[in-house]
Amino acid sequence: MVEASEPRPGILSTHGISKSFGELRAVDDVSIEIADGEFFTIVGPSGSGKSTLVRILAGLDRPDSGNILLRGEDITATPANARPTCMVFQSLALFTHRTVGENIEFSQKMKGVARDARREHALRMMEVVRLPREYYARPVTQCSGGEQQRVALARALASDPEILFFDEPLSAIDYRLRKILEVEMKDLHRRTGKTFIYITHSLEEAMVMSDRIAIMRSGTLIQTGTPHEIYRRPESRFVAEFMGEVNIFTVADGRLAELGIAAAQIEAPYLVVRPEYLRPAGNGDADFRFRAEVTNDYMLGSRTQFHLDAGGTSLVAELPALAAAGIAPGDVGEWGFDRADAVPLAD
Amino acid sequence: MTGSNNSALRVLRSMWLLVVLLLLYVPIASVVLASLANTRYMRFPHRVWSLDAYAQALGTYTTANLHLTSLSIAVAVVIVSVIIASFGALAFARYDWAGRKLFRRLVLLPVFFPQPVLGLALLLYLTALGIVPDWKTAAFAHIVWVVPIVTLVISIRLYHYDVAQEEAAFDLGATRLQVFREITLPALAPGIVSGALFAFLLSWSNLPISVFTSGADTTLPEWLYSRTATNYSPLVPAVAVIGTAASAAIVLLAAALRPVFTRKR
Ligand SMILES: Nc1ncnc2c1ncn2[C@@H]1O[C@H](COP(=O)(O)OP(=O)(O)OP(=O)(O)O)[C@@H](O)[C@H]1O
Ligand SMILES: [Mg+2]
Repeated sequence: MVEASEPRPGILSTHGISKSFGELRAVDDVSIEIADGEFFTIVGPSGSGKSTLVRILAGLDRPDSGNILLRGEDITATPANARPTCMVFQSLALFTHRTVGENIEFSQKMKGVARDARREHALRMMEVVRLPREYYARPVTQCSGGEQQRVALARALASDPEILFFDEPLSAIDYRLRKILEVEMKDLHRRTGKTFIYITHSLEEAMVMSDRIAIMRSGTLIQTGTPHEIYRRPESRFVAEFMGEVNIFTVADGRLAELGIAAAQIEAPYLVVRPEYLRPAGNGDADFRFRAEVTNDYMLGSRTQFHLDAGGTSLVAELPALAAAGIAPGDVGEWGFDRADAVPLAD
Repeated sequence: MTGSNNSALRVLRSMWLLVVLLLLYVPIASVVLASLANTRYMRFPHRVWSLDAYAQALGTYTTANLHLTSLSIAVAVVIVSVIIASFGALAFARYDWAGRKLFRRLVLLPVFFPQPVLGLALLLYLTALGIVPDWKTAAFAHIVWVVPIVTLVISIRLYHYDVAQEEAAFDLGATRLQVFREITLPALAPGIVSGALFAFLLSWSNLPISVFTSGADTTLPEWLYSRTATNYSPLVPAVAVIGTAASAAIVLLAAALRPVFTRKR
């Protein structure tokens, strides 16, 4: 997964693109380099500008400034219908008055491909997304949510784009099916070898599928890296918190000292420790140790989450089921974490 | 509920349906019957059954002229109102602008205006502009009244229209024109057919607005009204029956053509 060995050639790059709606800078000076065949995910909270950015990349909107290069060629002014890219919309935007086959064949029909060739191509695409042949003549309105998802994918693939954009295509789908489709999406990416640029507000989803993740906040990309890097080395509290529950120690406020941690050893103003790195340290084997009382426990399936009270500071720890056995609310004891697992943050 | 209760209900329901149908069709039937008389007095049963009135109606220049006037107005109303209403409905479906709700109410206001008041208002307006009323001004007046209704009819059919479909089509390589032909028009088509039928029938049968705004030209309903009031003869119901048949034929033709317009491509 972390093979930095053979650098892949770039396919899409942006240089300082911005777009404003009135006073609001929805996309603010975004520059990215995306490699050929990469699964690149942009994650951010609602309203951070993800859709605005991807619409600009797809050619559906024009940026106010900056430019977009496709294999080194400036395509900033090229409209969507002339770009070798295709987008899967959040609403899927299937053509509701048509059949599955007609939806998938649309791009070919626009190119003037003959009916038989179109049909053959559509059936091949249906095979790629694992949609049974019988669905060819069915109206799209009679397909289930998951099937419509596949129709949208097949329709996008049928136009043979170099880059596929996805704007939260799974957000309206229930949890179980979403998990299945996430895996299929990743599988599809591998099989087609195309560049996928994916948008979601779920970092969990991004982690599962992506080669690289960019975190977006208020119109800017604040951190870009592999899922591993984003998870292990968040560069800001925003990224750390976006990743789920974390323990953030403010170095300056003296709490660390109260916990018995020598603040002098840490130069950054904040220290972030993920719940799974906090562990009972009764035998004194952790770099940093403090006393805490277990206030609550929550069963999360394979892991158990504990809420701790360390002299007034609330902390969260997560232990695998085996290690969690025997720890109950009310227990007071030594807890700790290692230096290597704590991430110092500037803001 | 018991079985006998059920069947009693069913009988009651059938009778109710019968009454409604009678109420609807007896007046039409009686117009047909009246047209088959040869006297100036409405009386039944006729002493002499005759088709003279029809011969007279078809023979006179007036009948053709009345139909032509009403038809010209109706066709103009259909064309103009469908075009305006389609754009209006699309604007509603496509753009979520401030004041959209208010506009939706305002655009419907003329519907709630009493028609004679609207007719009078438009006549005053036209006179103020120095325009001499004729069938064209009547068509304009009908349009003012009909456009909101047709907009509503088309909007209802567009209610579940996802405008992202147009972007998706564009993104899949369609030109603007192809997007319109392949996506927008098929979505609009059923509404356009219904809206056109509404526009036609509302204009064809309108009296209160025409009275004020048609000037020297006479529409079919106007003529029927004035001849019934002052100079009645079986010619009047005969012309009415011909007019009904003409509009029914047009509506049936449109209904038959509907699958052609709304067919899947
Ligand atoms: N057409 C528009 N006109 C005015 N403001 C807009 C327009 N489109 C987006 N915005 C604003 O720009 C900001 C970014 O919107 P955008 O849709 O890109 O966010 P997003 O990250 O995709 O959010 P979400 O996760 O909710 O889809 C928001 O504050 C939004 O209100
Ligand atoms: Mg969005």
